[in-house]
Amino acid sequence: MSATEPTLYIVNPDVSCREEGPDGALLFNPDTDAVLVINTTGLLIWEALRKPRDKAAVVAELVSRCNNVPADSVAGDVDEFMEQLVARGFVGIYEGMLT
Amino acid sequence: MLDTISLPKVIGAPKSVDIAITGRCNLACKYCFYADEMVALRDLPTERWLRFFAELGDLAVQRVTLTGGEVFTRPDLFELIDGVIASRMRYGLLTNGALITEKALAQFEQGKRRLRLDSIQISIDGSRAEIHNKTRPGSFDRAIRGLRLLVEAGFPMTVRTTITRHNVDDLEDIAHLLLEDVGLKSFSTNEAYACGIVERQEDNIILTPAQRRQAMQTLTDLTARYNGRIGATAGPLALAREAERIEAALARGETEFPGRGTLCGCGGMWNKLAVLHDGAIVPCHNLSGLALGVIGVDDFQQVWRAHPTMVMLRQRHTIPLHSLETCCDCVYQGFCTGGCPQGAVFFGGEVNARNPMNCYRVFKGEDPYYVLETDGAA
Repeated sequence: MSATEPTLYIVNPDVSCREEGPDGALLFNPDTDAVLVINTTGLLIWEALRKPRDKAAVVAELVSRCNNVPADSVAGDVDEFMEQLVARGFVGIYEGMLT
Repeated sequence: MLDTISLPKVIGAPKSVDIAITGRCNLACKYCFYADEMVALRDLPTERWLRFFAELGDLAVQRVTLTGGEVFTRPDLFELIDGVIASRMRYGLLTNGALITEKALAQFEQGKRRLRLDSIQISIDGSRAEIHNKTRPGSFDRAIRGLRLLVEAGFPMTVRTTITRHNVDDLEDIAHLLLEDVGLKSFSTNEAYACGIVERQEDNIILTPAQRRQAMQTLTDLTARYNGRIGATAGPLALAREAERIEAALARGETEFPGRGTLCGCGGMWNKLAVLHDGAIVPCHNLSGLALGVIGVDDFQQVWRAHPTMVMLRQRHTIPLHSLETCCDCVYQGFCTGGCPQGAVFFGGEVNARNPMNCYRVFKGEDPYYVLETDGAA
């Protein structure tokens, strides 16, 4: 990966996710015993990250799924949320080849 | 009162599942609550368990506790543990410790077996063989050896001491053995309760009222001496703490504790289920007669969410104690939770009843319905 290519993120395959109806979902990392409850927007981001994506692609996915939400207004929130997911081991940096 | 009680939301799946992976055991403990099931039911093969673990992982169940029988009698134990790990869960083991060897412990070093292990629990019922072996025959030396191996290797572990007539005079030496000699950070206590096999024993092992009071005092003193390193969620030490709280509240003129006064003594139905070694799904191993379904046959999530028995057990929390004939005139009802449903079923024949073994009025000898065995019968 060259220095100019954006960082790709992907969900940690060891993390389980259970949707809890309209409330969002529960993430569980069995390696760290960490639990994270996410809302429906967080669940959209989680689902987007089931494939390797950079942050801009996640923002674009979110904007496409939500009506009347400008990209620049959600980019900061996505960035903050994804940093939290990475820091707690729920999401990792993708280092494989894109197909 | 029914209108004022709001029940918690039922989450999409239990947080944890207690699973008896085998009915085989190398011991024949005198108070084993699972003894009748061990004889009557057959073990499931490896692949059935592995498919079930995958189902649990897909539901984001967080952890399983593997028990039995004796888990180390299963030759495929580590294959099952690897199935738990592959299914994105953590696990704990309940064992008598007698089959723990260096070779067995070395197997935990493979893959994520150690990383995903919550704890291993061993039962130690005496400070020396002649006491421990009265309820857990022929196992003391091997159990202590297993315990020391686990401690030396730094495994996360807990020890449970079940108090009976045989060890009620040995509690101080047990605490010394576990906390000073072996060097545990803590251990927990309970007491033997009435169940099928206990009732059939020739020698009664259940504490008399006087012995229970003795155990309460001894454990209270030991807990103070060892700076809180002895724990209990049931049994004499828990009762001692509860009695102290109730008497202090009464002295202040209070008549209730917040959140009590209904049959709310068990929270398991909000976060746990259990499975017998033949695959039967039950609310709890102590309620093994309340079959809810079979793994691989019935939808586990549907059983959890909507089985009528689970709904009934959750609704149990809304039943006020003043509506029960046994409790309606009890001055302690506002402090009470009704206790563990297992005893309600065992003594009363139904879930929606109080458990006399957890009843403060029974303990004080003031109950008109249930009288503990007299001390003279010891």
